[in-house]
Amino acid sequence: MSTFKDADEIYAYIGKAMEACVVEPAFVEATKDGSLVVKILQTGPDATILVDFPGQKVLCGDAAEAAPSTVQLRMSSDNANRFWQGKLNFTLAMAQRKVKLEGKRSTALGLLPLTGPIFDAYKAILTEAGRDDLVLS
Amino acid sequence: MSDKMTEAEFEAAFAKATELSDYFREIGPEHDRKNTFAKSTITKFKKSGLGALNVPKEYGGMGADILQTSKIVSELSRGDSAITLAYNMHYIMVGITMGLMSDVQNKEWLGRVAAGDIMFGPFSEQRAGFSGLADMTAVPQPEGGWRLYGKKVWGTLCEAANIVTTNATITDADGNLPDTFEERVEKESFFIANFKVDSKGQGDGIRIEKTWDALGMHATGTQTIHFEGFYVPEDGFICEWRSGAFGVLEWASLMFASIYLGMQYRVLEEARAVLSKKTLGATFGAIAAAETKVSNVGHIVDGIGDMASRVELSRRVVYRTCQELIDGYDDNWPVELRFPYIGLAKTFTAENVMHMTKRAMSLVGGSSFKKGAIFERLYRDSAASMFQPLNADQSCTYIGEQLLAPEELND
Repeated sequence: MSTFKDADEIYAYIGKAMEACVVEPAFVEATKDGSLVVKILQTGPDATILVDFPGQKVLCGDAAEAAPSTVQLRMSSDNANRFWQGKLNFTLAMAQRKVKLEGKRSTALGLLPLTGPIFDAYKAILTEAGRDDLVLS
Repeated sequence: MSDKMTEAEFEAAFAKATELSDYFREIGPEHDRKNTFAKSTITKFKKSGLGALNVPKEYGGMGADILQTSKIVSELSRGDSAITLAYNMHYIMVGITMGLMSDVQNKEWLGRVAAGDIMFGPFSEQRAGFSGLADMTAVPQPEGGWRLYGKKVWGTLCEAANIVTTNATITDADGNLPDTFEERVEKESFFIANFKVDSKGQGDGIRIEKTWDALGMHATGTQTIHFEGFYVPEDGFICEWRSGAFGVLEWASLMFASIYLGMQYRVLEEARAVLSKKTLGATFGAIAAAETKVSNVGHIVDGIGDMASRVELSRRVVYRTCQELIDGYDDNWPVELRFPYIGLAKTFTAENVMHMTKRAMSLVGGSSFKKGAIFERLYRDSAASMFQPLNADQSCTYIGEQLLAPEELND
């Protein structure tokens, strides 16, 4: 059984963390002149989040599905929960086919070392929402 | 001043490489025969300034890109592939580290390289080579930093190096490796440190054991390195190894390809030199004639044409792959296939050089099989191309697995 009840929960927690992500100074600096728009496609439960770095905006659900992107990142929702807490090694996850990255990869991979503050933001969002059951030790 | 190496700067560097290549060619046979690293090349290599070839200009280097470096490596290899394979280790590690180190680390370590220091990197575990997660441990020290324990095989260039880079798995304070596979991956780390050993190969917590005894590539000095409490300060930590290496391994793959491209140049050159002049006199075998000049024999003409075609194809594949990386075209490849696709240049060149060395011996005849003959040495040396990562089998496995994988992701 998935850790998330439905897509709305994913948008409330991961979507909110992504909103923090697009205004995080390190990300803004790294992506300001580029065209990096990441579509995160999650399964179990299914959910779609679009993270537009140059536009500094996040779309969820149907709006995200309809919008164009330059990179598509696919993973299960449980693995997304692990990844955004820094508990999923991205390179290993790719090798084990837990994560699939498609599209222009160089900028997206270049952002990986910057993800530290996002992990903290995501965990804080979960804690604030009383979802300690989703926080991984 | 341009950040990049200009054409004029490249030509000057290439001229130095030709000079050094001639020296490698002169002394190569002796070191092949004696199975020794060519120590006399250290001073000449340093003096040439080519050690700073692919160090960015901002750190005091020449700023050569991967294509320019490839061309220089092939030119050196044309003189002697075994000696060049040793120095190739330096170019590989400079290429890999500069993409992973912090600016502070680059200033320090690449600054030293620009000033003449030589870098090497033993990574292979005896049980599984480069693929093997590091059994070598990095034990955290109370004063900070780590002490490394373990051994690495394939320590090419150790007899000339001043800087060592390697991978080891960070343990708990008692030296215990992580329990799970995932944790081992996370904790496997990339380090850089000073490397200083005496004339017997003994240093402080590190030593060279002379174990190199192989079919070919004798002059590489590819020894075993023992880490026996070797201290690496905190600022010697570069990054998590596998994640870091993932994006920069083209420096290994394409430099190996460049070695074997240079060897192909040499095979063709030597085969032409012999076969264009050789006469057999009166023969009564496959050819019955009062006077047989081999350059008029059909299969020899075809053979030289075939070899020349392979050289040209390899050159185009290696150069084009380098250029596509420079242009960022690799962004269009599926991310999982980036490394094996880059590796195709190496596997293609490896297949060609092994084919050519065998063919050259066949065309030249039995004299090529005798010890001391250049063709016999090239044949042995070319066999090493089967092993450097990725080899042809590994590349095909990588690619096939990805193409046959189901759409659904694992959880």
